[in-house]
Amino acid sequence: MNILYVLIPLALILLGVAVWAFFWAVGSGQFDDLDTPAVRVIMDDDEKPPENSET
Amino acid sequence: MSAGACFHCALPIDRANEFQVEIDGELKSVCCPGCKAVAELIRDTGMSSYYAMREAPPPGAGRPADDAAEWAIYDRDDMLAAFAEADDGRVEATIYAGGMYCAACSWLIETTLSKVTGISAADVNPVTHRVRVRWNPDDVGLGGILAALADLGYDPQPLAPESAAQPEIAEQRAALKRLLVASLGMMQVMMFAVGLYAGDFQGMEENMRRFLRIVSFVVTTPVVFYAARPFFAGAWRGIVSRMPGMDLPVSIAIAAAYLGSTYATVTGGPATWFDSVVMFIFFLTLGRFLEMRARHRSIDRSTALSTVLPNTVTRIEGGGQQTVPAKQMLIGDLLLVRPGESIPADGVLVDGVTTVDEALLTGEAKPRSKAVGDRVVAGSINLDGMMQMRVEQTGSDTTLGTISRMSERARYARPAFVQLADRIASYIVIAILLIAVIVGGVWYIAAPDRAFVITLSVLVVTCPCALALATPAAFAAAGARLSELHLLVTNGNAIEALARATRVLFDKTGTLTVGAPAIVSTEVFDDSLDETQCSYLAAALETVSTHPIANAFVVADNNHVATEQRVVVGDGVAGTIDGRRWRLGRFDFVVNESTESSRDQDSTSVYLGTSERIVARFDLEDAIRPNATETLQQLTNLGLTLALVSGDNAKPVRRVAASLGIADYHSGCTPENKLQVIRAAQQSGDVVIMVGDGINDAPVLAGADTSIAPAHGALLAQTSADVVLLGDSLQPVATAVLLARQTMKIVKQNLAWAIVYNATALPLAASGYVPPWAAAIGMSASSLIVVLNALRLTRFGAP
Repeated sequence: MNILYVLIPLALILLGVAVWAFFWAVGSGQFDDLDTPAVRVIMDDDEKPPENSET
Repeated sequence: MSAGACFHCALPIDRANEFQVEIDGELKSVCCPGCKAVAELIRDTGMSSYYAMREAPPPGAGRPADDAAEWAIYDRDDMLAAFAEADDGRVEATIYAGGMYCAACSWLIETTLSKVTGISAADVNPVTHRVRVRWNPDDVGLGGILAALADLGYDPQPLAPESAAQPEIAEQRAALKRLLVASLGMMQVMMFAVGLYAGDFQGMEENMRRFLRIVSFVVTTPVVFYAARPFFAGAWRGIVSRMPGMDLPVSIAIAAAYLGSTYATVTGGPATWFDSVVMFIFFLTLGRFLEMRARHRSIDRSTALSTVLPNTVTRIEGGGQQTVPAKQMLIGDLLLVRPGESIPADGVLVDGVTTVDEALLTGEAKPRSKAVGDRVVAGSINLDGMMQMRVEQTGSDTTLGTISRMSERARYARPAFVQLADRIASYIVIAILLIAVIVGGVWYIAAPDRAFVITLSVLVVTCPCALALATPAAFAAAGARLSELHLLVTNGNAIEALARATRVLFDKTGTLTVGAPAIVSTEVFDDSLDETQCSYLAAALETVSTHPIANAFVVADNNHVATEQRVVVGDGVAGTIDGRRWRLGRFDFVVNESTESSRDQDSTSVYLGTSERIVARFDLEDAIRPNATETLQQLTNLGLTLALVSGDNAKPVRRVAASLGIADYHSGCTPENKLQVIRAAQQSGDVVIMVGDGINDAPVLAGADTSIAPAHGALLAQTSADVVLLGDSLQPVATAVLLARQTMKIVKQNLAWAIVYNATALPLAASGYVPPWAAAIGMSASSLIVVLNALRLTRFGAP
């Protein structure tokens, strides 16, 4: 069980890195839009857009 | 007459006026040429999946404006300077895109804009409705970008750099960081807590126990000092202003549990409850986060005022006209306002005759005639005549600005409404922690060897989770259900206030009534024509008019086409149909087209005729909203007193009050009068709900105990209201009261359950009859019961 004395602090360091990465991501605006990304992957241009549309 | 809803904008379609568009090989019906054009544009640019992915649109969303605005003006350098910032050979501007309502909209806008040559970046935020565009000014102008947005059916508004700042974004970023710290912290600490509980059963080295406690302390500390900071700040503000809210007991509970645990960690005391601390903070933070999202979604405080006023004004200088950005407008300027434009400042009419729609500002449904020398106010809409005005007040000095300030003040003066349930919960949390300390102390003296296990059982069995969850879980469930029922809750206090309400005040124009004139009866004097034909003729004549009366005549077929149309401001329209000259308007006007009739007649009757004789009369009234009668009946059945406060004249107010059976009504109210009515009711002990949609309702909405604003009204009213009502029906108001009462019932059940459970378990645990494992099961079960009970609300009203 003594390995916990190493593993838990290690986990805490990783936690700190994760929090830092998230703060950076929030700060750079990646989480400003919480609605669109959820549907973006399933939205795409139609397969064959008409080449010479009149409108 | 309706042939279903428009495929593009969801408005009902008139069968006589149906257009079709082919999407994905299927013919879809749309309501107007504008929607047809937008749908074809979306199809032809290969983005039909927009229709598959979007949420069900609110009726009217995405419908293009009838009168295409002049976008080319925005290509000029001085306009560019007013709305965009140059940076490294490129320019950046923020554009407010009205009509955006879901994630599919933002995809559509981003994709379309990114195909425009010269645009290097387009970021859309569907929450704030803003598009941030970066482009090369050599390839495309601001006007071209606005036109591209308008082609998609959105209502674009470039925002000046100073109003483009997005406080919502900053708030959301801070809230997200707090939520993440709280949730990660909670997960970690719960994990260590499992280890500690397991250690209690199986035995654990004292060093390991100490280590796990120290680690829990290390993780909990940032959660308390970072994630929970808003609660401490709120508590401090409450103390300073001598109006302590729920933040104070919450902060005391957090601080007591945290400090107690820290002390126990240092001295090796019997138990720590870091897990309870982080869980409490996490659920509160989550609740606040969801509430903030609902608030951001429904309102946009910073644009509430600016969207009412135009971005550009036409200044008359030295005989010439010049379009300039609105902020260059000065007091004393002479401005030209065209029909359909909104008036940019308070001032005096110096040339022209027109009628002006002031409904949002005064509540008066009937448009007002204005002649030279009359005052016009910013935010009202010039309906049908060219006019010139002299600017007297701008910006925050205008009537509009004053009302906006008044509503801010009313919000601060609103009676302090402390949520009973949260208070009870927080006090009980503190009491439990004190009892645990006492029990621990007593057993330590009586039987030191058993003191540890018993104190542990007491703490676990009485874990405040159930109490802490009782209210937030119920409110979160109620909020979710309300949004399904077309009600967006932007202030958590609203639910308890709705449940305790005793009186409902309604605004008239736009709230109880539709806010636009509609034909209530038609009388035909000519045997060769019937009602339908007359309304077709009238509709064909009205196609050129911008007056709201024109919208009452929506039924049009393609057989009647009017030519040589002429609009006589304040009187009516004339035109030739099938070779005959027709007139539609006031009686005098129809009898003799050239007559200058006296103004300020009762214009609720419109006549149709030829130069020889009158053919038909249409009676128009501001129709009462569908469902209004039933909704008011339901509210009365719920024991609420109803009242009507309106800025409109006595006559129409009396008529609406009589037909809806409201005994208590006030007409001709200024925003101050309305506030007085509310204050008087509050002083006599009533808890008041205000329902209103106008700018003039904003102060009352802010001052009432809780308030509801329909989403089709003024943005300022929505920013002042606690609940925003989506859709056209008033019905959700009654549902909201019912649901709020049910919510409070569930909160009371939850609290009662938690108290009874704790009251039973505590003495047993304190006297040593509950082993820690049974305590752990009891704690989890009680929390689970509270959450499941709250979840019943999400099915409220469902079959």
